[in-house]
Amino acid sequence: MTAAAATATKPSAADVGMGERIQAAIERALQRNIKGLEYFASPAPVMGTTPKDLIHSRGTLNLYHYRPLSDEIYRVPLLFVMATTNKGYIFDLAPGQSLVEYLLKQGYDVYVIDWNAPRADEKHLSLETYVLDFIPECVSRVQEESGEEDVTIVGYCMGGVLSVMYAAAHADGPIRNLACFTTPIDWEHMTMFRRWSDRRYFEVDRLVDTLGNIPAELIFTSFEMLRPATRIAGQVQLWENMWNDDFVKSYRMFDRWSTDPLPLAGEYFRQTIKELMWENKLLKGALTLNGTRIDMANIKVPVFHAVAQHDHIVPYDASKPLIASVGAEDKKEIVLKGGHVSVVAGPNAVKRLWPALDQWLGERSV
Amino acid sequence: MAQQQSTPDPAAAFRELVSQWEKGINEFASRTMNSDEFSQAMNKATTASTTMQQQLGELIGRYLMTLNLPSRSEMMNIAERLQAIETSIHRVGAQLERLAGATAGGGPGGGPPRTKRPPSTGQSGGTS
Repeated sequence: MTAAAATATKPSAADVGMGERIQAAIERALQRNIKGLEYFASPAPVMGTTPKDLIHSRGTLNLYHYRPLSDEIYRVPLLFVMATTNKGYIFDLAPGQSLVEYLLKQGYDVYVIDWNAPRADEKHLSLETYVLDFIPECVSRVQEESGEEDVTIVGYCMGGVLSVMYAAAHADGPIRNLACFTTPIDWEHMTMFRRWSDRRYFEVDRLVDTLGNIPAELIFTSFEMLRPATRIAGQVQLWENMWNDDFVKSYRMFDRWSTDPLPLAGEYFRQTIKELMWENKLLKGALTLNGTRIDMANIKVPVFHAVAQHDHIVPYDASKPLIASVGAEDKKEIVLKGGHVSVVAGPNAVKRLWPALDQWLGERSV
Repeated sequence: MAQQQSTPDPAAAFRELVSQWEKGINEFASRTMNSDEFSQAMNKATTASTTMQQQLGELIGRYLMTLNLPSRSEMMNIAERLQAIETSIHRVGAQLERLAGATAGGGPGGGPPRTKRPPSTGQSGGTS
């Protein structure tokens, strides 16, 4: 072979690059098929495995105490209040991806209020029940269990709304700090939900009177409708990444959680629509629960609010007024990259929210 | 390097295509759903669906009654009663455990000492 012929047959760098990519694509396609079969044959991932004890339960209410993972803990216990629309295992997805586990390892004493689906006979549960009965009852149990008077409350989404209401109604304590994640305060800015529940067309009384509790399917559909193409795009993304075990594991955990919403107690739903969505009473300071006016200016304890830059469920404009409305001098808002869920769980949360929360809480938990 | 960058990557192009499709559909859906007409239509559909669901439930309930079979709501009532009993048992169990713990010297405030300080104060602890 002459030198000229050898040069002519030698593949160029571009050809080599393309060849490698084709080879990688074929390998991934094979892996996709093999792992795709495994995906359908394997059971759903187990979540919420950090050791815990159920210390109190009443109907829809569950109070868990997580077992300490540190030899020395902060004085003030943390009480998480989960959103009423979803299960609390978003705080405890898997080892290494669990906010609860992270906080336990950092030396916190962690309690979580998680919700069961309300039973048919719990359709009468109201905002008053959650704010003036369930949360105070759990705070008392935490005080009893920990032997500490002070309790820090951490609320997520609607759990944050309930926590804010509780803090405003109990200005004299025993709350030590209030931390909220993506908590809607100005319901005028819950754009799509507000549009769909337009009082001219949305017959909330008829819906609640007919159904009793609001079915989980209705909650799920309303969340899905906010971004109708995202589920399909997610499934395409899953197929493309089927070769990647970490991606598949993470996808399955989030998918399971997001497709596992809870029904809402009828009366609670009716009040949420009328008092918050239609009248925006929390922001206006016009909300009254059992004769107690819920005024956020009464909240004088330190307040932390983490909001998500790309939150399509609770837009930033809806959550922004919390810090401005509370009467606390020690208050902090952090705006984090991510969405409504990825701000609290997943790789972004591990890097962003969790260390920020630990730093803020640590200084205020002694 | 420059040559590698210019080599087309079909997978990246596909990802971009899916991403654009998702964005386009979501934006279109948001525009469509953010209207009076959509809200009105959706709520009419919801009302019709719940009414139908209620009527169908009543009809099936009557049918099951003639067959002397329990309806779903009756089964659910039984399940709820069982759950309530389980809850009571759990409560009694938890109280017994607490009593046993208190007798054994545990009880409120048990567990690791609550003396941890944040790492920045440098006084104690510091698992982070």
